[in-house]
Amino acid sequence: MLSSVQNPRFLLLHLPPKHLHFATTKAIHTSQTLALSPSTSPPVSQILTLRHSLLSRRSTAVELAEAYLARLRRTEPQLKSFLHVSENALKEAAEIDRRIERNEAVGPMAGVLVAVKDNICTADMPSTAGSRALEGYRPPFDATAVRKLRESGAIVIGKTNLDEFGMGSTTEGSAYQVTANPWDLSRVPGGSSGGSAAAVSARQCVVSLGSDTGGSVRQPASFCGVVGLKPTYGCVSRYGLVAYASSLDVIGCFGSSVTDTGILLHAISGHDRFDATSSKRQVPAFTSQFISKDLLESKPLKGLRVGIIRETIDDGVDPDVISSVCGAACHLEELGCIVTEVSLPSFSLGLPAYYILASSESSSNLSRYDGVRYGNQVVADELNSLYGNSRAKGFGSEVKMRILMGTYALSAGYYDAYYKRAQQVRTLIQKSFKEALDKNDILISPAAPSVAYKIGEKKNDPLAMYAGDIMTVNVNLAGLPALVLPCGFVEEESTSLPVGFQMIGAAFDEEKLLKVGHIFEQTLRGCNFVPPLVADDFPC
Amino acid sequence: MGSRAFHLLRATPGKKLNSRSGFSSEALIVQNRVRSFSVVRSGLEPPDLPRLAETARISLTPDEVEEFAPKIQQVVDWFGQLQAVDLQSIQPAIRADTEGENLRDDLPETFENREAMIAAVPSYEEPFIKVPKVLNKE
Repeated sequence: MLSSVQNPRFLLLHLPPKHLHFATTKAIHTSQTLALSPSTSPPVSQILTLRHSLLSRRSTAVELAEAYLARLRRTEPQLKSFLHVSENALKEAAEIDRRIERNEAVGPMAGVLVAVKDNICTADMPSTAGSRALEGYRPPFDATAVRKLRESGAIVIGKTNLDEFGMGSTTEGSAYQVTANPWDLSRVPGGSSGGSAAAVSARQCVVSLGSDTGGSVRQPASFCGVVGLKPTYGCVSRYGLVAYASSLDVIGCFGSSVTDTGILLHAISGHDRFDATSSKRQVPAFTSQFISKDLLESKPLKGLRVGIIRETIDDGVDPDVISSVCGAACHLEELGCIVTEVSLPSFSLGLPAYYILASSESSSNLSRYDGVRYGNQVVADELNSLYGNSRAKGFGSEVKMRILMGTYALSAGYYDAYYKRAQQVRTLIQKSFKEALDKNDILISPAAPSVAYKIGEKKNDPLAMYAGDIMTVNVNLAGLPALVLPCGFVEEESTSLPVGFQMIGAAFDEEKLLKVGHIFEQTLRGCNFVPPLVADDFPC
Repeated sequence: MGSRAFHLLRATPGKKLNSRSGFSSEALIVQNRVRSFSVVRSGLEPPDLPRLAETARISLTPDEVEEFAPKIQQVVDWFGQLQAVDLQSIQPAIRADTEGENLRDDLPETFENREAMIAAVPSYEEPFIKVPKVLNKE
């Protein structure tokens, strides 16, 4: 599972292996699997492998960057994950090599190739938010998350494709191109962070940044078979994230392992004076307590209380997905967890409440795209026409519809009926999560009601598309953190498609989520989450 | 209260959801049940698309009005299910209550990259950002 330039053997602690006393692995989550490779090993941190390679002088940053760029170029014509590929990657890699040569300190992410969703501002590359309204736009600053990444030594390899302004669940809403799912090129990668998820899945980069307003990191993580983390609202600064719904937006992380996702989260977290909603809490070292799987005791998660959300394993969810998630629950039980069913009252109200709040806030946030100070302008004789025509030409249909719905919901006389009621529903949902998380350490559910569907399948049916967000929106309404990791496969038309499950934690409890996720991932048997498209580069 | 709303997104009991066609039938069920909620809406005017487009400053073509109106109506009807929920004495939440407010001092600072900001302006004539005249339509 590793690229030919990397060798993980030096990384694992050299101590005598202690065998996990596992009950026979229940094959529920692998019963539908095409055996991709009968013996698989769990994911190894690519960031730590890369770092070891660099510091031990086995590889140079330039060699590693070239390897990733070569794979990116080879797979891009089929995937179309990127809207822009950096011209500076090799230059930045060479600079890292110079510093290592001179025995100077390099940051924790030195040489790591990171892709950034195109709604996150990068000063040296266009940032379009997937829209024609911002075609060619060069922001005058880096988003705080990007600045922190660069300060830690990471190389931004490019900007990834997304549904326009983050509005969508398939990445078909991009004004530029449709990204394909690396597991099946006729299917969507999910959205809105589809490009970022596909790029990590296809190993076009090591890790990537996305954004999550209603599930836009977690659902594509599930569809693409990668790890996706949505942090607590306030954990990562939103400065430089193109705003969609300011009370719901967060920047999130993708990785091919829980360790990599945690390291990335650590690099971008922390208080930012430019974001009034950013938390002043100390950022914990998310992954420093991780234990190598060889050292785990037999029930490493003994006593951990896990609640599986009943409303998410009911009718309306693909039975194969339910089966995979229940398989994950069994696996957690084998690790010592106490798994019970939990019911969240008001769960189903979250979806309409979310869409009212998101479209209302977006109608306000997108009013700045008037063609005057930045972005595309349609010349007109009169100011209102300049606004109207620039916005008509710049925005796609989904964006226009959501702005109009939001305008309606906020109109005089309708605020009480829609927006205020949605905010009250938010209070109910926050309360019900709090109560559930008082009695449970984490809650689990599917990340989406299905596996990746075909490109074009949901294009003309807004409600059908919105329905797919039911697993994820409530977490944004409550501002809680959630981690999605791959747990199995579903067979569709003789293709194996990955399924992820979602773990939800209490506010600022990312450390616990990552710790549990890491142990789950390291002890999961029989699954290899490298898509066939790039499997040759990562022999198991 | 909530359980009735949840049925909006339920498949018919006993019907196996096929991932490929499952959602179209789901959407149909949504449409059918959504009609029963129009009664609950209690007289709120349906969306007047041309007027909303003017408020939002988006010039819609007649084709777009025709295409969007039923879809927006459908979604707004679906929003209407919140009317049926008993929300008496529930405080509205502005955002997630994960953290208090962290405002910085209200002191002006100079942005360090003004040239790049100016470079992004579509129509600039130093020192003005150019716009056409405003006509009072009303």
